[in-house]
Amino acid sequence: MVRGGSILFVLALISPSLASAQAMRIGSAETMSFADASALLAQSCGADITANCRGVNLDANRMRECLSRNTDALSPQCRSDYLRAFDAIQKRIVARVAVANACGREIVKLCSGSTKETSKSIPCLISTRGVSRNCIQAVDNAGYR
Amino acid sequence: MPAKRDLRCIGLLLAILAATALPRAQAAAPEKDEIISQLGRFDTAPELDIAALRQKVIEKSKSRSRTEPEPSKRPLIVPELVGLPTFTVDIRFDTDTPVVRPESYQTVGRIADALVNAALLPYSFLVVGHTDSNGRREANVLLSQRRADAIRDVLVNTFKISSKRIQSLGLGEEQFIDQAHPTSAVNQQIQILTIAKLPEQSEQPPQATPPSAAKKKSAKKK
Repeated sequence: MVRGGSILFVLALISPSLASAQAMRIGSAETMSFADASALLAQSCGADITANCRGVNLDANRMRECLSRNTDALSPQCRSDYLRAFDAIQKRIVARVAVANACGREIVKLCSGSTKETSKSIPCLISTRGVSRNCIQAVDNAGYR
Repeated sequence: MPAKRDLRCIGLLLAILAATALPRAQAAAPEKDEIISQLGRFDTAPELDIAALRQKVIEKSKSRSRTEPEPSKRPLIVPELVGLPTFTVDIRFDTDTPVVRPESYQTVGRIADALVNAALLPYSFLVVGHTDSNGRREANVLLSQRRADAIRDVLVNTFKISSKRIQSLGLGEEQFIDQAHPTSAVNQQIQILTIAKLPEQSEQPPQATPPSAAKKKSAKKK
């Protein structure tokens, strides 16, 4: 029982990293969903946006520009998070391009598609057997699944 | 079976951690699967000339006829939209502007996540703005159009959803979400409608069986 308790304690300490390791293993995305990235921006910068960027819409360029122009006025939380949020969105978008590379064989051989029009082969990639781990990972990173 | 019990403890711990780590939702964003299941039930595409519809709505909002019915009795201006797969969503804007409030960022991001999902990739969509019957009728059409445009712009510019897949239309108070209660705030919501299947999407793997709904499910278990 004592041993069990101490194991539990240790687990409590390391479980965040454990949880993420677990997530990796089952092949879930290494990128952040658009919803999570947007929520991060709203949570860390909502008040800052209302105070300093009123009238600016959720436009990656304009909002980032406004926030960086007002860096001095931002809350520490916002200052440390806003670039991270926009980078996360960007990473998720760029991940779509990686699918053509990671899934080239599958797109051509299994889905008789073209890597020039990757998005048309996505439903096939997801529902077809024999797709490589790399490809699945790329598909997940792009948020297609 | 101490190993087994430890495993169960890990599971429990992870669950507790996950629950406490979740941010407190301000306005609960819709679930991605919910959006996908609503918008994915597409059957047949109606003939829609969005530019012409915009014009029609603006003209209607200017009508000053004496026989004009009260808001709750107005005939639908675009009845073609009624049977289409529709997701109705509460997005908060700054008053009288098309500026999305931060509390709704997550919701817009969630819509983008759904539109990127494989299940919805083959389709194109219409973002429809509405208003309640408070305020001037013409102004309401303009505001709803600007709001629908703003959502389309965020989806296209910020989340890089192909502009070919999204159009926008403001219906103002010419077609209510809840016609029985024209002044209700329910009518300020945004609707996303599936309006077409993208062309040349029919490529199927020749040797593999076509991906049926059942097969999709089994592939998802991973």
